[in-house]
Amino acid sequence: MNEELYITFENYFNNEMSQEEQLEFENQLQNDADIQQKFEIYKDANKFLETKFSSETEAFKQNLEAISNEHFAEKVEKKTKVIAFKPWQYAVAASVAILVGSWFYMQNNIPHYGDYSTPETAMFVERSVGDANLKEAQNAFNAKDYKKAVASFEKVTDLKNPELQYFYAISLIETNNYAKAEILLNNIKSGTSVYKDKATWYLALSNLKQKKLEECKTYLKQLPADAEDYDKAQELLKKLD
Amino acid sequence: MDEKKLHPDQLYIEGLLQNNSAIINTIYKKFVPKVKNYIRTNSGDDDEAQDVIQEVLITIYNQAKTNGLQLTCPFDAYFFLLCKRRWLNELKKSSNKEVTLQDENVSIEESVQEMTFQTEVFDDKQSLFDEMFQKLGEKCQEVLKLSFVTKTMEEVAEKLNVTYGYVRKKKSLCTGQLTEMIQQSTRYKSLKY
Repeated sequence: MNEELYITFENYFNNEMSQEEQLEFENQLQNDADIQQKFEIYKDANKFLETKFSSETEAFKQNLEAISNEHFAEKVEKKTKVIAFKPWQYAVAASVAILVGSWFYMQNNIPHYGDYSTPETAMFVERSVGDANLKEAQNAFNAKDYKKAVASFEKVTDLKNPELQYFYAISLIETNNYAKAEILLNNIKSGTSVYKDKATWYLALSNLKQKKLEECKTYLKQLPADAEDYDKAQELLKKLD
Repeated sequence: MDEKKLHPDQLYIEGLLQNNSAIINTIYKKFVPKVKNYIRTNSGDDDEAQDVIQEVLITIYNQAKTNGLQLTCPFDAYFFLLCKRRWLNELKKSSNKEVTLQDENVSIEESVQEMTFQTEVFDDKQSLFDEMFQKLGEKCQEVLKLSFVTKTMEEVAEKLNVTYGYVRKKKSLCTGQLTEMIQQSTRYKSLKY
């Protein structure tokens, strides 16, 4: 093995060469296919080792393992829960049904997402030229066909604009894609666009729709007094308390 | 690398890269059931499905972290095809199992095939590097590991109780040894690099 060669590689990567040495090395690299190949592998080996031994990679693997176990454990439980009913169990089932019924009845007292979500008309296409999918998304959104809107948004290639993200997120909430919606909304919320407070308001509504009332309240309380939806938020807070 | 347009599902790639639990959970809720079902109906069980899925997600993470990964197709299709092909490979390896294949003739979009191919090439390469790393001497493995786990080479030298110059030289020679082992392997030559 040509030891000097690898020491040269390392010096090159660490920028520890004079300009002259560097030029000479780059020249050598261009004219020698074998050295070139070694150099590429050496570079890849460095990247490979960096990923392999990164503490972030370790953390990711552990977290993934935990989440994976959670999801696969759930299924096993569900499977074992299919048991034949004994007569007395019908009585239990009946009372559970009554309980569930009254729970639904009581749910009527909890404010509903639909009472509060009054999205404005989407008008983003006039300003952004080109993408036919955007036009489709806008039309579907304004026609309240949120499923179609989501499908069109998914085809849009550039969704960096907070306005687009906002309307996409509402469509996602309407179609019960909460996780994705909340990622987008949190993204807008941490930005500086005019949709910042709107995003907070819809984060609250997303949680309301999922009946996560505590989370909903937390977001409502974050709305500043000059926000457009501040009054509605205060009203909703009162009803939730 | 590519002028192709980024798919909005790139958010799943970023989520994996950032180890974002909410996104990983979403992947398990939205995309994993289909894979599980496929493996179950093709001679596999839940444990095997769990392993395949985890391996595929780690591969995607590794690729994103090492080279960057620009998703140009829906995550769903890409993830499913990766899992499916990995499972079929497993079945081939243990060919005593009866293989009943489904939906073989479903046409797959070109962008999905391309993304899947890219990731599989990366995975091949990565497993070759891994295999060769395991063949290095103990000392080399230790020096290399430490020089990536530890922040500075000065600290590595301190830990190993040697001089900075020695560690620097050792690191480049060990990486050099790894490089030559890879270059000379028959597997490297067959890689679509």
